[in-house]
Amino acid sequence: MLVLSRKAGEKIKIGKDIEINILKVEGGSIRIGIEAPKNLTILRMEVFEKIQNENIESASKGIDNITDAIELIKNRFPKESSD
Amino acid sequence: MKINTRKFGEIEIDEAKILSMPEGLPGFAGFEKFILLEDPKTAPFCWFQSIEEPILSLIVMNPFLFKPDYRLDLDAFIESRDWKDIKPDELLVYVVVNVSEVNTVKKITANLMGPLIINPKKHEVVQVVISDTTYSHQHNVLDSI
Repeated sequence: MLVLSRKAGEKIKIGKDIEINILKVEGGSIRIGIEAPKNLTILRMEVFEKIQNENIESASKGIDNITDAIELIKNRFPKESSD
Repeated sequence: MKINTRKFGEIEIDEAKILSMPEGLPGFAGFEKFILLEDPKTAPFCWFQSIEEPILSLIVMNPFLFKPDYRLDLDAFIESRDWKDIKPDELLVYVVVNVSEVNTVKKITANLMGPLIINPKKHEVVQVVISDTTYSHQHNVLDSI
């Protein structure tokens, strides 16, 4: 991993269109501004991990795991499920 | 063409329905070809099945079935991906579903924070993560509305 030291007001450039701006350092937290192309997904790692965990968990289920769930959902939303 | 799936064995699929996922699927880096399988026996749940890996298949469903007021800023999304010639109402939206059992009570949750958005014209799918939202990654489906 590349490690750099920066002060508030300083920046880091990554590739040709990404800029990381260190806005403020206060107490134990750092405020960061990021300029990047719109199609790049930028996320707090814990948010990404939630999405990732839901995907992994869902992929671990088989048809038998959802048999009861199918009945529950059909009873709960009878009209919509029959469309 | 024929593909192998753990859940349905070897099945025949329409190659035109294969979706590419250039931004990848969180948790499953390296897999970029999927197909949406609908089976009347498991409806309203569908399967987001990898073309490349038979055991990789996620449970997904249409979120509007249980959450008719689910709102996403699809205009902004289309613009961010620079998708041309497609309107928001032509996109298909699915959410990843999980089932679990807590104290013998069955629970069905849906990830409303990371919907799969399918562009049927481009045969592309993106799992968008909307972090500035009140939608939960474990929305309780049976408690909806």
